[in-house]
Amino acid sequence: MNALESVSIAVDAVRSQKLRSGLTLLSIAIGVFAIIAATSIMQTLERAVTSQLADLGENSLLIQRTPSINFGTNWAKMRRRKNITYMQAKEFRERMATTHMITISNENPGFTVKAGEQSTNPDVTLIGIDDMYFTVNAVSVSSGRPITESEVATSRPVAIIGEDVVGSLFPRGNPVGKLITLKNQTFQVIGVLTRKGGVMGQSQDNRVLIPISVFNKYYTWEWDASVDISVKAINKPMLAETMDEATGIMRALRGVKPWEQNNFEIDANDALTGQFSGFSTALLVVAWISGLGALIAAGIGIMNMMLVSVKERTREIGVRKALGARRRWIIRQFLIESITLCQFGGIIGVLGGLAASWGVTELLRASSPAIAYVFPTTTVIFSVIICTVIGLAFGTYPAWRAANLDPIEALRYE
Amino acid sequence: MSHPIIEISNLVKCYEMGGEEVYALRDVSVTIGSNEYVAIMGPSGSGKSTLMNMLGCLDTPTSGTYYFNGEDVREMTDDDLAEIRNREIGFVFQTFNLLPRATALQNVELPLVYSGVSKTERHDRATRALEQVNLTDRMTHKPNELSGGQRQRVAIARAIVTAPSIILADEPTGNLDTKTGHDIMALFRHLWEAGNTVILVTHEEDVARHARRIIRLRDGRIESDTVNPDA
Repeated sequence: MNALESVSIAVDAVRSQKLRSGLTLLSIAIGVFAIIAATSIMQTLERAVTSQLADLGENSLLIQRTPSINFGTNWAKMRRRKNITYMQAKEFRERMATTHMITISNENPGFTVKAGEQSTNPDVTLIGIDDMYFTVNAVSVSSGRPITESEVATSRPVAIIGEDVVGSLFPRGNPVGKLITLKNQTFQVIGVLTRKGGVMGQSQDNRVLIPISVFNKYYTWEWDASVDISVKAINKPMLAETMDEATGIMRALRGVKPWEQNNFEIDANDALTGQFSGFSTALLVVAWISGLGALIAAGIGIMNMMLVSVKERTREIGVRKALGARRRWIIRQFLIESITLCQFGGIIGVLGGLAASWGVTELLRASSPAIAYVFPTTTVIFSVIICTVIGLAFGTYPAWRAANLDPIEALRYE
Repeated sequence: MSHPIIEISNLVKCYEMGGEEVYALRDVSVTIGSNEYVAIMGPSGSGKSTLMNMLGCLDTPTSGTYYFNGEDVREMTDDDLAEIRNREIGFVFQTFNLLPRATALQNVELPLVYSGVSKTERHDRATRALEQVNLTDRMTHKPNELSGGQRQRVAIARAIVTAPSIILADEPTGNLDTKTGHDIMALFRHLWEAGNTVILVTHEEDVARHARRIIRLRDGRIESDTVNPDA
């Protein structure tokens, strides 16, 4: 009797008791599903929020077509919003009087950058920027130089790269002056970003910055060609006034009637992050508590199934004991069986959770294209572990019962 | 008789049932040597099942002594008993008791799995045991694809695969028709002639007369212990 045999017995048990085992597996699947889906969606949102807001400096505003994170607001309505075009953003920049620290940018995740034989993973964020980017945002260049106004105006193929990209492409030696390629376009590296490290597991150094004029030409899709505008007030007291002015100009540019709501988003940095983290923590706590609750209920179901299984197979246990199975063999057999059952449910839950979170991410992407799906590796591993633990915890008593059966009684059992 | 495998003296087995003490065996003494062919007989309630459980190391006596190959069974833990059953005793049951999901070969391999024999050796030894019962052509069949007689032969192969000191058969023909029963008894005779020690537990005279020695039990005591002149 080996582990494989116990696994196949577990499969048989599931088959022969379809309804009972189906319900038990379902409750495990629901528990794992809740945990995986919630964690994955939250990680995805968190990454989107932090990557957009981490760069935003003090006293700054962010103007976007749609919010970074859309909490249950009407997606269809959001999707109908017109893009903030590059032209519109430039017009906005011209009209602003309270401050001139305004930068226009756009970004897309998931690029592969190459230099000669070297290549990065396909997870580099590409950002199109203008010359004010480094003035407005809390971002600087550690070697080389920033992108100039004329380079933006004339669409020069120049790039500033993050330390992660440097690490993958130029492990030794200064990258400044070297060439990199992005989807068949060649760029000259003119600078390296100062290392920022990670924010909530998301590296801020895995990015490439190019002139927004070049970005708009080669690296956006039509539905995606809406730019972000970051505005920095000259000081904190001026922030409110700057926001009022920016709102007014945007409404005028986008033809919003006085009785209509804004058809764009404008938010100060700290307001957004605070709002989001409170929401995400609450949701995670609820999802984990209900998920773990479902798993414990499932564990009790597993225990019941295993007790029935022990009862039904009393005679088999008697035979095994008569043939010389020691207690630990019997215990092992039933534990493997209960763990296998838990893992079946777990796998269903993991797949369901991943599918759901991926689907939600895709929905969010429709209104917030900067969002990239985050695969919840840690949570998947955790789910496998917790299914094993539940199988062990709730399988122990039935296994112990089986191991303690009197062989004579068990052999006589009809 | 050569050196004894089983030495039982003054064995008593007493169960507690509803606060009352019930004596299943009272003062039984018996010695069984190597390569004997013994039938234990008696009507139901005579204690023959209890005695079989004792002989099979499935249970321990209330008092008296039981030495199996010189080892004191009374002192043994459950796991010690499991080990001695695995190594020294080959069980054959009335209802065959094969694992329904396993093939004939896997069923025969089972005791070797519990004694930690390697996979290849297990396979070789189980194949040889099935050869001895003439079932090589049914190795990959599951019990429900075998006839009653074939199932019992698989069970016998399982009993002999560990080369045990005794083969302990409990009503081995009880679920078989007369003709098949005769075949099975012929197989036991063959095993005995090949040097095995065979102990049959039965209430049928027809079965018992195959044995060389017949021990009759009544009311928990040995009524007679005789050499069978017919065998």
